[in-house]
Amino acid sequence: MRPADWLQATVASLKAAGLNYEFLLAASERASFLHGLVVTLELALAAIVCSLVAGLLLAAMLVSRHRWLALPARGFVEVTRNTPTLVQLYCAFLVLNMLITEALKLSGGNPLTPFLWVVVVISLHKAAFHAEALRAGLQAVPPVMLEAAASLGFTSTRRLWLVQFPLALRFALPSLVNNLVDLVKMTTVASAIAVGDVTYQAIMIWSQRDNVLELMLLLLLFFSLLTWLVNQGGRALEHYWRIPGYGR
Amino acid sequence: MADDTELTATLPAWRSTSSITLPVLAAIGITLLLTLGVLWLIPAWTASPLLGHVLRWLPALLWGMLANIQISVLAIALGTAAGLVIGALQLSPVVPAATVARWYVQIFRNAPMLILIYFSTYVFPFEIRLGNTYLAFPDWIKVTLGLALPASANVAEIFRGAIGGIPSAQWEAAAQLGLRRSQAYRWVILPQCLRRMLPPWMNLYATITMGTALASLVGVKDLLDTAQIASSTVNRVDFTVTVYFLTLLLFFLYCYPISRLTQYLEKKHAFH
Repeated sequence: MRPADWLQATVASLKAAGLNYEFLLAASERASFLHGLVVTLELALAAIVCSLVAGLLLAAMLVSRHRWLALPARGFVEVTRNTPTLVQLYCAFLVLNMLITEALKLSGGNPLTPFLWVVVVISLHKAAFHAEALRAGLQAVPPVMLEAAASLGFTSTRRLWLVQFPLALRFALPSLVNNLVDLVKMTTVASAIAVGDVTYQAIMIWSQRDNVLELMLLLLLFFSLLTWLVNQGGRALEHYWRIPGYGR
Repeated sequence: MADDTELTATLPAWRSTSSITLPVLAAIGITLLLTLGVLWLIPAWTASPLLGHVLRWLPALLWGMLANIQISVLAIALGTAAGLVIGALQLSPVVPAATVARWYVQIFRNAPMLILIYFSTYVFPFEIRLGNTYLAFPDWIKVTLGLALPASANVAEIFRGAIGGIPSAQWEAAAQLGLRRSQAYRWVILPQCLRRMLPPWMNLYATITMGTALASLVGVKDLLDTAQIASSTVNRVDFTVTVYFLTLLLFFLYCYPISRLTQYLEKKHAFH
């Protein structure tokens, strides 16, 4: 059986079960839905990488002994954690982006795309959560470890990077994975500024065909798969990085 | 000894002196900075009619915020009631019930909130027929139900976690005192659970409150929706800047105290 026949047969049998997946047979709608899946994947991957980098920087600022670094970082974390992502996205895209567009009107237009803004906002939002997790991890490292490292002649920088940070990363890993699961789910807000992610494409299709339930099921399945993958990745990393003598 | 003090001081000393007040000051500082930044963007703001626009729209914005609070309170109430039942079912000795409850929790904890909101808005009917009368089923109630779904799944998980965190010696001690399982549950286990559940439950409430901003995407007249209407009605750059950051500030003013209280309770609990 050719793949096209197979698809047709599946759609027909689902139709018999009362589920209307006919959009999968229309080439353009199928293409836009598949493209939406790819865009969501790209969004999630870009935001995961950026959020981890930004989270690390923020955590370093949070535990810094310089108040002028630590206090702004603390303020940023509190504001970010206690305001809705969608409002942050609007503040970035509808306000900052607008101001940038105004400012660059004469010099060739605004190079920033909605996709980029979503990545920036989601990354910074989750970076605040990563930073808190890493900070808690740094504080959970037993002082004895640091004393032992110091007595072996480690300088304070080497102690931080070779002893405290690797341990903190392991302590923080479960929270970081949780944050990344949240991040994947959060990519749905991209649809609010018409980025063309899978949620947006689904809205476009169901407003034409009135098959909300069917697309919902697909979306839920897709996001379950993504969050499952993130969880599995996290678990594998936990296993790979496990500390002998800690945990099970 | 000198080495010792140096090592324990790997975290800056000023943090330990007043660990609560400084973050508060920092947060207030950053909001002030944001506001100042906004004001800086508007050179002649006292001369401009901006303040007038803001004052004219402020009641509508606050009214919109009330919708957010209403939705969040109702959603957490429904979610808590349903979540406690589902959480108890998860631990039930009846295997099918426990399995169904576990699937429910898995599905609704892993589903993006926005998708659940779309789900409840478009799949539920817009009115319910009760005999001959039609009862309107407005969008804000649908959004409330859409938020109550993840809330209930999370409450169930919090409940399960809290029960799991009670040492089994407590059950055994209760049995030794001649309490039946149900009595032990009611008089020994639950009171301890409630205290454990409070901080994560408040965290969940803050999350749900922030989730209510998504209601604007399905046309509920909430704070963010009002801000958008205000921005497009007044149609001035300085007002648009102000109104969106004001929205951010209003959400912050509501959620930040909850988060502080949660942290305080967590710290207090950590010593028990």
